[in-house]
Amino acid sequence: MTGFARRLAGKLLAGLVMVWVVVTFTFFLVHALPGKPGDVQYESYIMQGFNPEEARAKVTAVYGFTSHDPLFSQYLGYLGRLLHGDLGQSVYYSGVPVSHLIWSALPWTVLPVLTGLLVSFLIGVIAGVIAAVKRSSRWGGLLSVSGSLVAGVPSFVLALLLLLVFHTEWHLLPDAGTSDITLEPGWSPEYVGSVVQHAVLPVISYALLSYGGWLLAMKSSVITVLGDDFILASELRGLAPVTRARYIGRNAILPLFTVLALSFGIMFAGSFFIEQTFDYPGLGELLLKSIGVRDYPVMAGAFLLITVAIIAANIVADLCYTLIDPRVRR
Amino acid sequence: MAATAALSTRLRNRRPALNAFRKAVTRKPGRLIGLGIILFFVLLAICGPWFYGSLAVDPNAIYAAPSADHWLGTDFAGSDVFQEVVVGARYVLSTAALAALFTSVLGITVGLLAGYHRGFLDSALMRVTDFVLTIPGLPLLIILSTVWSFGSPWQMGLVLGLTGWGGVARAVRSQALTLRERGFLEAARGLGLPSRHIIVKELLPNIAPYVAMHLLLSVIAFIGAEVGLFFLGLVPFSSTNWGVMLNQAVFSGGAMNSPDALVYLLSPLVCILLLTLGIVLFLDAIDELFNPRLRERA
Repeated sequence: MTGFARRLAGKLLAGLVMVWVVVTFTFFLVHALPGKPGDVQYESYIMQGFNPEEARAKVTAVYGFTSHDPLFSQYLGYLGRLLHGDLGQSVYYSGVPVSHLIWSALPWTVLPVLTGLLVSFLIGVIAGVIAAVKRSSRWGGLLSVSGSLVAGVPSFVLALLLLLVFHTEWHLLPDAGTSDITLEPGWSPEYVGSVVQHAVLPVISYALLSYGGWLLAMKSSVITVLGDDFILASELRGLAPVTRARYIGRNAILPLFTVLALSFGIMFAGSFFIEQTFDYPGLGELLLKSIGVRDYPVMAGAFLLITVAIIAANIVADLCYTLIDPRVRR
Repeated sequence: MAATAALSTRLRNRRPALNAFRKAVTRKPGRLIGLGIILFFVLLAICGPWFYGSLAVDPNAIYAAPSADHWLGTDFAGSDVFQEVVVGARYVLSTAALAALFTSVLGITVGLLAGYHRGFLDSALMRVTDFVLTIPGLPLLIILSTVWSFGSPWQMGLVLGLTGWGGVARAVRSQALTLRERGFLEAARGLGLPSRHIIVKELLPNIAPYVAMHLLLSVIAFIGAEVGLFFLGLVPFSSTNWGVMLNQAVFSGGAMNSPDALVYLLSPLVCILLLTLGIVLFLDAIDELFNPRLRERA
């Protein structure tokens, strides 16, 4: 397993370098945005009658950097605070640490995304096998088209259609929020039931969003495996169909781990469409809201976290792949 | 008669790629339908605004039901929904086309250079590609929307193209890497042909269907992204398009809760669904052109 450890170290190092690049990129991107949020705030404090020193101290407290320093030393300071997990403070919610906002939004993105991924994995993989085996029949063709279509349709279109059917037309499910606002958060059955009820539509949206990816990947993978010699051999040896299916399944499921990383990234990065449609207070909505009020520290923090999540997902998928497929382990 | 037949066979012999394309498209009816849908929307985007220069607003008919006057009814301000859909197609499609253009130019150039030359250039270019692929495109777009106005298709197309070329570059590179070792390329190198000739005349035609496939897939994503930005209201509206319609319907028209507005809300949604379906169906043909293994076993 030393090979594995070395691979892990290499991947982590590459991931860290990528995170550093993204941090740098984010920092300079936010500073390239017009309006220089720090200066604007500084001037508004001056207008409010603070003396320059006080105003400057306030801006420092709010933004986590003094905007009159040269850009590079600001950058170093930002890096240093990041290493301590300090993302600065929100401007809009004056004084609230960005990390606090992000932590409270994170579960509302991660849990629905993971549940959706699990559901779509189960359905998508089975549908993919059927689509591959029956690819010359009409139903197999329809199944693959359904996969490509669902994979291609923008997430907000799916979400809006779901909302139309299940909320507007049938009045089955709520259209906004994470729970009934009259209920007290806690472990009471009413509250948990309400949370589940509110999460159904977002979870279905996430599931639909990644279903196509699983189906198409599984289909092409199964087709590749079906052409392999050992399948022909097992056919000739007269092995039971169940055994053959196990052979096929085991070999075909390998490439799906790349899809896992990909769809996790797509869903995480695209979550704001779904969250905005269902008015769900996750990370994506936090990002959108911060953009709406030009809350630059929150913007930078949320963007950074989304990117780091994608990098981490890539590393995990890659490692899973190594663990499962002995051929790439060497 | 004989002359035209001879001409058509000559053309067919001269254009094997075109011929194979025609065969692949006509093999299944679904692909023809897909091509038909795409052509329909392209025609709509080109010709639509000629018919409806200025949107007719009828303040006496707000959220009117579909009728002979208003084929798809009217919206909250009394504008004809059908006209809005037709006029809005131009922005959506031209932006997607421009984004595809930028993506393919960047992606093909980077992919071919990296895959053909390998070595230092390859690893440098692939680092950049990895970076572009890692940066989540949609969040970046919404952040950039605070700085740049994406009002014109050129600006929106350029930004979409700049954030979206990574996938094409990587796909082209992997194709170039495999083709590089094939006999005809070795022969071309052995003949001492300049690498510009090899890349443009030998490599490019062989990866064209593959690029087309990736490009069509990214066009779907581009349409989703641009319409989505308008839907979220992040881009100031200068004219109407499907995203603006959705935004107005959902966030200000209250279409989610009033049955009168159903057609107004559904029209842009159905357009996006249809266009996606068209591209997906048509993609099947290109997929087969490039990947004969997917052809059914006889």
